[in-house]
Amino acid sequence: MSSKTDRVRMRSAAWRISLGATLAFAFGTSLVFAGLHRFVANDIQRRSDAWLSGEVEVLGDVAERTPKDRLYGRVVGEVAELASKEVPDKLGSGSSENGSVFFLQVGRDGSSQLWVGAGNGQANLSAIRASKIKPDVPFHLQVKGFDIPFRVASARMDDGSSIYLGLSERDELRVLRNLRIRFLSFGLLIILFGFGIVFYTTRRMLGHVREITEAASRIGRSDLSSRVPTTQYNDEIGNLARTLNTMLDRIESSVHQLHTITDSLAHDLRSPLTAIRGKLEMYLSSGVRSEHGEPVVSAIDELDRLTEFLNTSLDVAEARADALRLSRSEMDLDELVRVMMDLYEPCMSESGLRMQLRSAGAVRVYADAALIHRMVANLLDNELKHIPASCTIVIYLQVEKDVATLIVEDNGPGFAAEICSQMFEQRVKGEGSSGHGLGLAFVQAVVRAHGGDVTASNREEGGARLTILLPCALPNRAEGILPAAVMAG
Amino acid sequence: MTICSLGASLGGIKEGGRAYHRMMHLLLVEDELEIQGFLKTSLADAGYVVDVAGDGKTAEGLASAKCYDVLIVDLGLPDQDGIDLILRLRQLGVSSPVLILSARRSVDDRVRGLEQGGDDYLTKPFALAELLARLRNLLKRKASAEASPTILRVMDLELDLLKRRASRGDEVLSLSPQEFSLLEYLCRHAGRVVTRSMLLAEVWGMRIQPDTNVVDVHIYRLRGKVDTEGREPLIKTLRGVGYVLKDR
Repeated sequence: MSSKTDRVRMRSAAWRISLGATLAFAFGTSLVFAGLHRFVANDIQRRSDAWLSGEVEVLGDVAERTPKDRLYGRVVGEVAELASKEVPDKLGSGSSENGSVFFLQVGRDGSSQLWVGAGNGQANLSAIRASKIKPDVPFHLQVKGFDIPFRVASARMDDGSSIYLGLSERDELRVLRNLRIRFLSFGLLIILFGFGIVFYTTRRMLGHVREITEAASRIGRSDLSSRVPTTQYNDEIGNLARTLNTMLDRIESSVHQLHTITDSLAHDLRSPLTAIRGKLEMYLSSGVRSEHGEPVVSAIDELDRLTEFLNTSLDVAEARADALRLSRSEMDLDELVRVMMDLYEPCMSESGLRMQLRSAGAVRVYADAALIHRMVANLLDNELKHIPASCTIVIYLQVEKDVATLIVEDNGPGFAAEICSQMFEQRVKGEGSSGHGLGLAFVQAVVRAHGGDVTASNREEGGARLTILLPCALPNRAEGILPAAVMAG
Repeated sequence: MTICSLGASLGGIKEGGRAYHRMMHLLLVEDELEIQGFLKTSLADAGYVVDVAGDGKTAEGLASAKCYDVLIVDLGLPDQDGIDLILRLRQLGVSSPVLILSARRSVDDRVRGLEQGGDDYLTKPFALAELLARLRNLLKRKASAEASPTILRVMDLELDLLKRRASRGDEVLSLSPQEFSLLEYLCRHAGRVVTRSMLLAEVWGMRIQPDTNVVDVHIYRLRGKVDTEGREPLIKTLRGVGYVLKDR
């Protein structure tokens, strides 16, 4: 289950990175385009201004030289018409008919003397009158009735009249629009392509990271001998994998060393224990009378307790160092607790204790059966030793979100206040406790080794409560585990 | 609790062993002289013919020269690992079942693998009674094909395994399923000592070592039902060792 969510998270990381990169790329490209656009627009305007200035000069010349007779209008009109045919950057034909160029001569009194262009030129005249004009510098003119503004150059004649030559900015705008459309479509394509590449690459990279994470957590949970996958590239990911593997080598070797020490310690203590126990048993079987056998019997009992103590101490020590060797298999906690309760029931009722189990059914965990058996036995031994007669022990068992919860409650005196904070420490035991103080330390060791957690507290109503959380299964085994509600068992 | 004469009861095991396995040959591979010594004596007392090897090489020579009924192999040998020795012997064609003795803390997966192959293991220190019981199991497995009875009889005690019904004389005993299993196990090993850890492992299926008297209370209750007043007590407690169901 968790690997699935990891994958989603990783994908979203790849998504975020590619989105960020794409946005940055798009922003940069837009900036470049804006500059380019500006440059092109200025250039076009400069060229049309140069044409306008030239033409208006020629027209002024013609207007000046042409005698002001009846033919004046026709001559100047023809020249203006001709000039309009040479419009630079002209796209399509017949633009003059569409009003792309106009010529206007305005008399000293401000009335229109001559108009060449679409319509009657009144709108143009009033627009020119309304705008401030700097002489000899082409200016921008928005005429009522025309969507597209004109670029107008003016010249003042000697007779006090002014002539205006206007060129529609339609062609200029069309060029710029084309540029923009092309940029947008090309840009979009490039950005999409870039996004694809970045997304694919980061996903691949993060895929490696995910593999490393999964492998590392698998190693953390089970065996130290496997390694995270490495790539042949010498990049950051490859380095990460190699560094992790070097670290694992070191951890494995120190864990191995710890195992060697505990094994040889166990071996060195167990061999003499075996010999002593065997000899005592042989002595017992050699036909001694029972009153002579009694000390031998109690010596054997003591030896067994010593052995158990040795085992538990070493287990706790290894678990503290995260080096407890687990041999996991699938097991049902519910079944185990029921069998344990069968086993302990007579003993409990002899001591006047009652036991209840509240479980909704099978609770499958993937755990070391031998250790879990000993852990549950330890919990019940603990209850048996520490609570007075006529108390009740209630065991709750439930599964929630792949976590098995085992709660052992009683209505006895609860944990003594002075040991409450250090309950799980080795050798810490309540006053008057006959145990060797390893019980709960062992429980904690087993639970932690399985990736779970254990907490001890006193109930408000009085009595002790131990809560054990155990992850149900390895992720790839999580299927088929149904969450169960708490029910009276 | 009834404490019967310890010597007499354990003597019973020896004779039981002798009657059951006539001259079974064992090879004991163990380097610790102390353990070697008492094991050899006890095994011989139980009626086995025992050869001893102190290291892997000697063991290999002996096992390939002679056909043993069971090999008892300690894992910590001076010259090689016990498991490697077993695998080597298997390669050489030695098919005798193996009882592994391990002083290691945890039983590693290789030992489990061997256990699935029909072999067995014991962790040190162990009770002699348990060693003998496991030996008998291995030998029985070897003989195998022995039709398992559906009715067990010990003295006037009778267990019908199909109907799960127990009776003593004419009286039917009302036992819980758990108590029935316990009594069944005792009956199957009648006349021999069974230890607490054997009962825990075989009846309840767990290898634990409770430091409270859980098993004793079960036996006590069972005794209350089986050995009622006026009848000869059958279930004996051997303190420090275990229990025995009297068979004569």
